Amino acid sequence: MIDKLLDPILNPKPPKFNGVMGIYYYIDDAADAVTSLRQAGHKNLNVFSPVPHHEIEHALEQGPSLVRWVTFVGGLLGATGGFGLCYYTIASWPLVIGGKELFSVPPMTVIGYESMILIAGLSNLLGMLALARLPQTKAVAPYDPRFQEDRIGIWVPCAPGATDRIAQLMKGHGAEEVQVHA
Amino acid sequence: MSTTLKNIAVDGVNDVSYREVTQKSINDDVMSMISLPGKVWWALFLFDLLVLGCALAGVRNLIVHGWGVSGFTRPVMWAVDITNFVFWVGIAHCGTLVSAVLFLFRSHFRRAVYRLAEAMTVFGVLTAAMFPAIHTGRPWFDYWLFPYPNQRQLWTNIRSPLEWDVFAVNTYLTVSSIFFLVGLIPDVAACRDRAKHPVMKLLYTVISFGWTGANYQWKHFYGAYLFFAALATPLVFSVHSVVSWDFAMAQTPGWHSTLFAPYFVAGAIFSGVGMVIFLLVIVRKAYNMQHIVTIDHMEKLAKLVMLTSCMVGYSYLTEFFMAWYGPNKAERDLFLFRAFGHYWWAFWIMFSCNVIFPLLLWIKSFRRNMTALLILSIFINIGMWFERFVIIVTSLTRSFNPANWFYYRISLTEILLIVGSFSWFFMFFLVFLRVLPSFSIAEIKETLPMPKRRHG
Repeated sequence: MIDKLLDPILNPKPPKFNGVMGIYYYIDDAADAVTSLRQAGHKNLNVFSPVPHHEIEHALEQGPSLVRWVTFVGGLLGATGGFGLCYYTIASWPLVIGGKELFSVPPMTVIGYESMILIAGLSNLLGMLALARLPQTKAVAPYDPRFQEDRIGIWVPCAPGATDRIAQLMKGHGAEEVQVHA
Repeated sequence: MSTTLKNIAVDGVNDVSYREVTQKSINDDVMSMISLPGKVWWALFLFDLLVLGCALAGVRNLIVHGWGVSGFTRPVMWAVDITNFVFWVGIAHCGTLVSAVLFLFRSHFRRAVYRLAEAMTVFGVLTAAMFPAIHTGRPWFDYWLFPYPNQRQLWTNIRSPLEWDVFAVNTYLTVSSIFFLVGLIPDVAACRDRAKHPVMKLLYTVISFGWTGANYQWKHFYGAYLFFAALATPLVFSVHSVVSWDFAMAQTPGWHSTLFAPYFVAGAIFSGVGMVIFLLVIVRKAYNMQHIVTIDHMEKLAKLVMLTSCMVGYSYLTEFFMAWYGPNKAERDLFLFRAFGHYWWAFWIMFSCNVIFPLLLWIKSFRRNMTALLILSIFINIGMWFERFVIIVTSLTRSFNPANWFYYRISLTEILLIVGSFSWFFMFFLVFLRVLPSFSIAEIKETLPMPKRRHG
């Protein structure tokens, strides 16, 4: 019963893809293949791997993630919000407690600081999810569970006519397996 | 085509626990822990629930009959509740230390142990947060602790250190939970691909956010992970500093000291690493994971305990020195009372467990002996619980005015609360062991030499 109910969610009908998927074991083979494919004009390829590899990052010429700016803005907003909250709550009812100064900076710093970390952390999470396109509900490429184990996949979306050339290039760079989707 | 994990431990090849590890075998090994629970697990879990049930009966008594049923009497109104709160927040600190601070310092031994430590952090904060919530006496009004807009413009007193705690602990719970769950994403995706039970597969599909391991996902994942670590590092130091200021901001003898923040942070890491060692020794043995968490990893954790034990011992001595050297007679009397007064036994349990017994860690063979580490970790946690008890109870029983002096005695309800806190923590932990990967598959793989055709 549960199987039937969850089946459409857990095993959706795979979408149709046009392109070539090369599966590699050796990291240097995969990095060389990425460099060659990019030189051949296939800039929009995707690489799937169980762990991130610097060689692949260099081959893809990936820059640093933009998530740091989202986090920075979140931190600024959090600190401003935290200090603002302290100021507002004191100003809205200026009640002297224990003879302490009303607008005292040290306690405000604690609240402002914790708020900065909280909002920066939440922004970091949301920034990461948005930039990494997560949650990913629709597959962008054919998926293989081996990508979570020990294999690297290179997916090159292309027109049906270009698949042979790409498949040859991948095999030439040591692909263990090449799957043509057309 | 297999890759041998020779450097997961520095000298792992000579280790009896050494066995060949490949990228795929890490998936196999870690996911083998996620299976239908056996008899031992069920026995432990049901026993844990039974204890928790008894503790809940104690909480029910507190709520229905009020604080009179516990041993809380003026002037010792914090007693066990706040002792438990500080103890569990302290336990929680190790996870963030191992996952964030050691990540920033590129200390790779963390990879084998951080997941378990992070889980401990989240469950530790969940346990800690219960105590102030119960301690308010009317937990159904706990939302008053938060600043929320209301018709009468009544706001929380942000100049009170107790309010700082609300912000600090909630931020810590949120950020450490996010850090834990984000770190799980790639590993849970691996679990999703192998899960057979539809409910488990659905759970993993949801938690993995549809992770595929694409290059653009890794790029932003590690971009964000670095910042989580960078945010969690100052947070871990600030949270226990804020907790220490609950005491240090008061003028009560024994509390009013600028030493408290670093002293509490060191103590938190000390007790937290002690708990991680306790859990790891059992888990690695029970699941036969000695090749993933090697003796070298355990020894490095033991060295952390050694370091923090020295810091804690130094703080104890500094407190006594300052009381003797300073002008405050009440402070001097209080410290004499702590060591030789009514609660001398609590003080000496604390001092022996936290300072004297850990001196054994200077011996290398002791650091590499799992049974010895397990026993020591239990003593450390007993000692650290008593540290908070000593700080809270001795200072409150003997404040400035002798007319207020009173000897506090623990009640059955409070004992139930202490035992219940452990069962609450272990309930989460036992479920975690069965449902989520207890070791980081992706990060342990990064320790492996990557397969390269050109280098053999």
